[in-house]
Amino acid sequence: MKQNLRSLSRFDFLKMIPTRKAKIAEAPARAIPATDSYKPNELANALHPKCQHLIVSEITEREKDVKSYSLTPDIARGTEKLAYFSAGQYLSVALEIGDVKLTRPYSISSSPRESLDGRYELTVKRVDNGLASQYILDNWKVGTEVLASAPHGEFTYEPLRDARQIVGLAGGSGITPFVSLAKAIADGCEDANLTLIYGSMTEKEIIFRNELENLAAKCSRFKLVNVLCDEKVDGCEKGFITAELIRKYAPASGDYSIFVCGPQVMYDFVDKEIEKLGLRKKFIRHELFGEYRYPEKNDDYPKDAVGKKFKLTITICGEKKTVECDANVTLLNAMEHNGIAAPTNCRSGVCGWCHSRLVSGNVYVPKEVDGRRMADLQYGYVHPCSTFPLSDVEIDVPPFRL
Amino acid sequence: MSEKYDVIVVGAGNAGLVAAATTAKNGLKTLLLEKHNLPGGCATSFRRGRFEFEPSLHELASVGDKEHPDTVYKIFDNLGATVDWRYEHNTFRAIVKGCDGYDVTLQAGIDPFCDAMEAAVPGCRASVHRLFEYYPKVTDALAYITRMKGKPNGLVMITKHADFMKIASHSVEDVMKSLGIPEKARNIINTYWGYLGVPTDELNCMHFLNMLYSYVVHGAAMPYKRSHELSLSLAKVILDAGGEIRYNSEATEFLYDGNGAVCGVVANGETLFAKEVISNVIPHNVFNMSDPKNIPETDLKLANARTFGISVSTIYLGLDCSMEELGIHDYTVFVMTDANPRKQYDDRKNKSLYIVNCLNKVIPDSSPEGTCTMFFTMPTFGCDVPKDLKPEDYKKYKNRLAEEYIEDYEKLMGIDMRSHIEEISIATPVTFARYLGTPEGTIYGYALSGWDNILGRISCEKDEYTIKGLSFCGGHAFRGDGYSSAYVTGDTIGHRVVNSIKGGN
Repeated sequence: MKQNLRSLSRFDFLKMIPTRKAKIAEAPARAIPATDSYKPNELANALHPKCQHLIVSEITEREKDVKSYSLTPDIARGTEKLAYFSAGQYLSVALEIGDVKLTRPYSISSSPRESLDGRYELTVKRVDNGLASQYILDNWKVGTEVLASAPHGEFTYEPLRDARQIVGLAGGSGITPFVSLAKAIADGCEDANLTLIYGSMTEKEIIFRNELENLAAKCSRFKLVNVLCDEKVDGCEKGFITAELIRKYAPASGDYSIFVCGPQVMYDFVDKEIEKLGLRKKFIRHELFGEYRYPEKNDDYPKDAVGKKFKLTITICGEKKTVECDANVTLLNAMEHNGIAAPTNCRSGVCGWCHSRLVSGNVYVPKEVDGRRMADLQYGYVHPCSTFPLSDVEIDVPPFRL
Repeated sequence: MSEKYDVIVVGAGNAGLVAAATTAKNGLKTLLLEKHNLPGGCATSFRRGRFEFEPSLHELASVGDKEHPDTVYKIFDNLGATVDWRYEHNTFRAIVKGCDGYDVTLQAGIDPFCDAMEAAVPGCRASVHRLFEYYPKVTDALAYITRMKGKPNGLVMITKHADFMKIASHSVEDVMKSLGIPEKARNIINTYWGYLGVPTDELNCMHFLNMLYSYVVHGAAMPYKRSHELSLSLAKVILDAGGEIRYNSEATEFLYDGNGAVCGVVANGETLFAKEVISNVIPHNVFNMSDPKNIPETDLKLANARTFGISVSTIYLGLDCSMEELGIHDYTVFVMTDANPRKQYDDRKNKSLYIVNCLNKVIPDSSPEGTCTMFFTMPTFGCDVPKDLKPEDYKKYKNRLAEEYIEDYEKLMGIDMRSHIEEISIATPVTFARYLGTPEGTIYGYALSGWDNILGRISCEKDEYTIKGLSFCGGHAFRGDGYSSAYVTGDTIGHRVVNSIKGGN
């Protein structure tokens, strides 16, 4: 028998609108609840606030030219609680230095657990010609107000992805995310084992030595190996972080993940050594590349641009400004040094926070810091933090936001 | 006051983009405001290592191709937005676990679809085919109602469109039962409920049939460069037509004139005026950004009467092996513990339904050679997020969730994903609350449940949204949820505003 819609009433159709109207009529005309009153929104705001108003509460002098800053929530300016984070994440800090407006990402060097008690620690090392680090070291005092982003970054231990055994390779101030991770392992925030191979020039330059040695003494899941390239000292390895040295301290059997954080010169060397280990890509995690320098060193860089100066025209919310930009300066740096605050977080090409439209001109983006999406290339978008001009350039940039 | 813009569109989601593209292309001075630094809302992409992930789109319905363009294809084409479409010709594979379970793969095309249904449930072919035969009757009736500007003649409806009246006023289950479609066959076809977020004993059949027909006739389409391609192609239309887009520019206040009409917004502390404001932002949030005295009781009651639509939890995996090496052969797999949609809905916290997509099946080079991506989707309501979940436990909560589903799928398919995970990202309603700003992280606006079905929304739209100078588009609007519906509302509202401004003074 062929069945049709006979069993259904067509007159139910006529009830549809009256039913709808009745449902709406019986609803209360009360005010709409605040969006934050819903659990997912409340959690989203707690974990990813638009910005964090912090205040320097304590300064710890560490090794030469290195200081740690304890930051606590500035309730008066509206930050009541610090956003929780994962060990390895960073805060982007907004700075105004004279006419220059810029941001810097600093890895948090305290344990996530301490953030629950209202404390982050950032550790800053003076960098030659480093505008931000010099400014912070010379100017931040107890009581200084600091504007920071929510915690960001992917340099974190992910139990479903990484081997539980981590071999950390740190160079210089690249130690900070590992300090957080070591503390997080010791206090139970993270369930992993960390062997940290930490390269410094001399013994005097080892940052956090006491803290790390104390942690290693207390926590069997954390081991510390100091490597010095410029001097031979008992209890430290001498030389560089080579494949051979990594093999010596890595687990003899079973998988391990390598986490690397340090300056570019260290990456140049260590990346080649890691390659010799023949690990699968998934077991190698790299922290941000950092500000890209010397693009002209790359084989694919158009040599005729070397030493040239170009005009950079920036539009933000319809307002246009033109500044000069050297061929070896990123579009972001050129903006910031001309007092134009541009949105940025990672400053390494990957996070996409500075995503801007290239209106006209030619640019160079080094392959290793090209974090753009495929459609960005088709439609002409750039990440100014990792983009160098090859001609006069015009870009449309979103207004600053942390 | 000076009107700086003809139109301000608030929110660059799918509907906002199409609305702004439509008004800009028709010569109106248009400003599109977006709180995020990218267009698209859910229609975007994100990178982790060497992978670029599709965050939300499973299958875009109503696309078709150049020879047989469907609604979405036409909207993009009319705007001059180009998209590199890729197609999937299987509709889905449905696996129900347990001894009464089944494992059925259905193909696109009405006859192949019906053949596969017959093979799965012998004797059901004719009844399933009949369901599709009603589709033209539905479109005829809708065309008539539209021609009559929403005021159809009762006699014409009863004499000519009685079948439509039945389909439009009953649930999917009721209509299918009356057509004699056996229970197992109903359950297989109704696997699709997850895409609309309302189980089929409550979901309006007209709406479901519309979606089903589109998928079965045209197959599903995907943009080659993830949804970010869709959004940037629309952004280009807006800019090429002289429109302005401001990112990182969250509207924080809706402004009203002395007569209660919306006349502008405040964004980034700047006051911006326009003749018309189109909101891609859900009414709940707009009302929270408005002086309460300007919200008419009708509009407020409607908002309070509604329930939020579904959100999702998702897992994105970048694997360091190819889909062949992994042993995966399908694009879309629905995994269920019970065949019945209502039971799947009620028991959703216990892995009663999840969807697994492998984009490499449709777009082989969507990840580097020797790799593939897997995308898990679990229907989740914002209210399913535990009330006592603390920020410091959130990551563990996400990881536990992901681990359970990954293990479940590994066991079911006899594959090993865990040891191949090179990149992983996990989202929950909290993630969607963060990026979309919607209450409870809803991705679908308001639930299309019972009385709040699309026919009711369309018929009553003019009476229910009474604020002058303000129109709504997006998943929360009259067409309900999903990419294609959002594009349609953006298109409709965009044209309506063009007519209102150009036809007016």
